[in-house]
Amino acid sequence: MQARRVAITGIGLISPWGGDLGDFFERLLAGESGVRHLLTDDLPRPLSTPFVSCQGFEPEVELGKPLAMMMERFAQLGTAAAFQAWAHAGLPRQPEAADAAERDTWGCIWGTALGGLSAHERGSREMWQKGRERLSPLSVVQGMNNAVNAHISIQLGLGGVSSSHTAACASSGIAIGEAFRRVRSGDADVMLTGGSDVCQSYGVVRAWEAMRVMAPGDAQTAPSACRPFSADRAGLVLGEGGAALVLEAWDHAVARGATIHGEIVGFGASCDRSHLVRPSSAGQVRALRAALADGGLEPSDIGYVNAHGTATAEGDPVEIAALREVFGDGASRLPVSATKSMHGHLLGASGAIEAVVTALALREQAVPPTAHLAGRIDPACEGVDHILQGRRRVPLQAALSNSFAFGGSNAVLALRAPPR
Amino acid sequence: MNSAELIRNFLTERLGVVPHQIQPGALLADLGVDSLMLAELMFEAEDRFGIEIPSDLSPPRTVADMQSAIDALTPLKTG
Repeated sequence: MQARRVAITGIGLISPWGGDLGDFFERLLAGESGVRHLLTDDLPRPLSTPFVSCQGFEPEVELGKPLAMMMERFAQLGTAAAFQAWAHAGLPRQPEAADAAERDTWGCIWGTALGGLSAHERGSREMWQKGRERLSPLSVVQGMNNAVNAHISIQLGLGGVSSSHTAACASSGIAIGEAFRRVRSGDADVMLTGGSDVCQSYGVVRAWEAMRVMAPGDAQTAPSACRPFSADRAGLVLGEGGAALVLEAWDHAVARGATIHGEIVGFGASCDRSHLVRPSSAGQVRALRAALADGGLEPSDIGYVNAHGTATAEGDPVEIAALREVFGDGASRLPVSATKSMHGHLLGASGAIEAVVTALALREQAVPPTAHLAGRIDPACEGVDHILQGRRRVPLQAALSNSFAFGGSNAVLALRAPPR
Repeated sequence: MNSAELIRNFLTERLGVVPHQIQPGALLADLGVDSLMLAELMFEAEDRFGIEIPSDLSPPRTVADMQSAIDALTPLKTG
């Protein structure tokens, strides 16, 4: 079958600021950080770390109490984002009886790194700290890593493939890429995709701290704790969230009069095949070139790169080296930003939130900055056009979103601006 | 809380059942209690009343069945 164009017809996001998509993107353009200081009352020692929380998120309001109570928080965030994207696409939750068969082949491919881990952590805590002898049977379905795609497929009547990808920080980049391929190939006219993660589990934060890659910060300094590409960067800042896209065959979208918010044109995936946690620019270069080739793009077509840029000492210069190799002489004019400086690192959901940012940049013709970078660029990270302040009225045709994971899994998405 | 209250709260909060539908003869299946939610309801009863519902118990069919199953095992009714 001939390759089909893939439209983005719905975008959904649980914003750390609690507002809608427009509010979220405006805050990013303004360089506003969503990072705050998280202080818990955990035993034996509270968590005290910069973090990005979706504090205003009310699962029972978004999902209704019965559904919300069936889910762990990562599934609540993901399903709520999916419902928003679905409504944004103008699709009814349950189709009219005559249209239900159309959804037999529609599917959901989700991304999450930690999945329902917090359900099991809570269960263990209840038993080992509080002496309880029983666990709720629901913790099985709350804790399963495919809970989000399962709930979404049930709630939206999607009868095709329903699965989740786990590839650490590239989970949802890969999920979106695989969903994109299913629409392009003709396997499905519509795919719901995205990612969600909840990273404030006690054991998860403690483990990341032990790896010495977490940025320090208190109530005063937390907002600027995540400083990708900066000479004084001090590590990553974790966050929670969920973001979703409705991908739809172009002609299907046009036929039903849907608004097209953007287009996915290419997906490149690779593995560094070298080291569990030390990234390799060679592997990233292969993913970047694969995404460009898959999308029929030249490096000169790209007007923005949403970098993986986590603000770790080791990762940032490797990513810049990869971009310099792929973009050659044009690299110095290539606008690049790492929006994790503002929305944090959502692990398995980072590819999804950053795909949303990239799609909005193309739609709005505006690019968000790397916050806290002005005057601080690490010489080892020079060689691209670092966006230090949000830019509006930028003529953008195409952009890339990078997700580079522990384990060496790389995913690059290539997007185009919607028709104007 | 007694067993009737526990069942009523569970059905309304967890399954969105309208209170007037909760009659002793009402079939649990009709109220949306599938095998998963029946296991969860039994867990709540065990947890709340400190009882152990035997794993070979035939699954209660009605609201009244569920209530008797709990009451038969409840050693000390707590308020």
